[in-house]
Amino acid sequence: MNAQVPKPFEEIVGYLEGKKKIVLMGCGGCATVFHTGGIKEVNEMAEKLAKQGKEITGKIGLPFAVFACYLPMSSMLLNEHKKEIQECDAILMQSCGDGAQAVRRYLEEEMGIVKPLYPANNALGFSSGGPTSFKEECQACGECELGKTFGICPFVQCPKGLLNGPCGGTTADGKCEVDPTRDCAWAMIYRRAEELSQVDKLLEIVAPHQWSKAVRPRRLEVEPIDLMEELKGTKRVIEQLGV
Amino acid sequence: MSKLSEALQSGKFVVTGEVGPPKGVSVQEMLESAKLYKGRVAAVNVTDQQSAVMRLGSLAVCHLLKEMGIEPIFQVTCRDRNRIAIQSDLLSAYVLGIENVLCLTGDYVTLGDHPKAKPVFDLDSVSLLQAAVQLQQGKDLAGKELDGIPKFFLGATVTPGANPLEPQIIKMEKKVKAGAQFFQTQAVFEPRKFEEFMQTVKHLNVPVLAGIILLKSAGMARFMNKNVAGVHVPDSLIEEMEKAENRVDTSIEIAARLINELKGLCQGVHIMPIGWEKRVPAVLGAAGL
Repeated sequence: MNAQVPKPFEEIVGYLEGKKKIVLMGCGGCATVFHTGGIKEVNEMAEKLAKQGKEITGKIGLPFAVFACYLPMSSMLLNEHKKEIQECDAILMQSCGDGAQAVRRYLEEEMGIVKPLYPANNALGFSSGGPTSFKEECQACGECELGKTFGICPFVQCPKGLLNGPCGGTTADGKCEVDPTRDCAWAMIYRRAEELSQVDKLLEIVAPHQWSKAVRPRRLEVEPIDLMEELKGTKRVIEQLGV
Repeated sequence: MSKLSEALQSGKFVVTGEVGPPKGVSVQEMLESAKLYKGRVAAVNVTDQQSAVMRLGSLAVCHLLKEMGIEPIFQVTCRDRNRIAIQSDLLSAYVLGIENVLCLTGDYVTLGDHPKAKPVFDLDSVSLLQAAVQLQQGKDLAGKELDGIPKFFLGATVTPGANPLEPQIIKMEKKVKAGAQFFQTQAVFEPRKFEEFMQTVKHLNVPVLAGIILLKSAGMARFMNKNVAGVHVPDSLIEEMEKAENRVDTSIEIAARLINELKGLCQGVHIMPIGWEKRVPAVLGAAGL
């Protein structure tokens, strides 16, 4: 998931200075999980902005599992709210920067609408866990090394991003000298190799990482999924769970 | 040929020293310190912006030492240069007649005096050794042919007091596999524990120079125990320093005793005087070197 925190309200108010009619849009994905753009937070933002004298002319709350960044889903709602969007002075996106830019792109390229669009959140990047604690584990470098590092990414877990073992900075209690509150990545990797009885595999030298795979922006073409079929599958699982 | 390599091959107990380049361009004091090593040690390490503190470069100082007739060991860390710059600096070293290269990871930037800097670590100490070996084989890391081939004597480091120790030893083995021809260790204060370490790495069949740091005071020893990963000064030595009538004499005595105890255990010692370069001749004298 893309972890995120809300921006200070004053910053948001600053962006919206001189703008009267505001459309709010949230996200049913990560922003719902992190309480930065679920339907509840969109409603709360509407109330807060109304108190600042703003006229909230549209609230596009996305139900859980409807992602702002996934246009086949979010575009349906954008089209439904076309009129409010056309008439507004600004759009406030309660999503990550990915969702915000996907929406901006769609409005401009597919709907021919050019409007000021502002972020309400600060995205922190890939993060996993939940429902309360989340941890960063993957930096999407484009060339996964987990197969050589026992499922623990040294680029994220080690400040130096070392691929071939620990530096001399492991403290006596197995922590990292750069930040003694965290475990040394290579102490963790070694423990896992030991548990899996594969310590000998650690002797293999890992070649320098291919940073060329991280050159941005990345672009990707894929076959579209059959959205309705996928949703039926989701519905089945939810019913089986007795929800 | 590298004089350090010759010294290690001779089977004699080898001593290396160390100088730290100044922050600035006043090199006189450092060169005076370096002079004290002349004729007394096989080679002198020049640190590469140690502790991530911005200083005069290791390569330039290695060149100055070479001009003075002192055999330098060029310390190279992965912290500040990507693979392009690092390979280029290795070539530069060779054309300046510098063959000994100590390949290190490097301290992290936030521990130094430019904590806002972007850390590099494109290579690590193992892939840095491999890069140097590949250059010696006439190719760079991209597989492109070199016009003229350098030759190096490659060193690496190990922390015998690391916890856990096993990952350190695995990495040491990888460094040997990658091309390390000698090792210099983090400071050793407990010869018996070091002996166990040497037993564990015996199969690697590579010369090891044990690190010697001159204890300046009991406070310094306690500070290192608390703040320097992999270094442990036992209470007995701290007590000895505390009770010392003359700190300098006791410090020299301790260092000489450690060196004598290490003589049968490894191929030499690497002395890191950290500002006490002037005391090194006395240490070597007391250790019978």
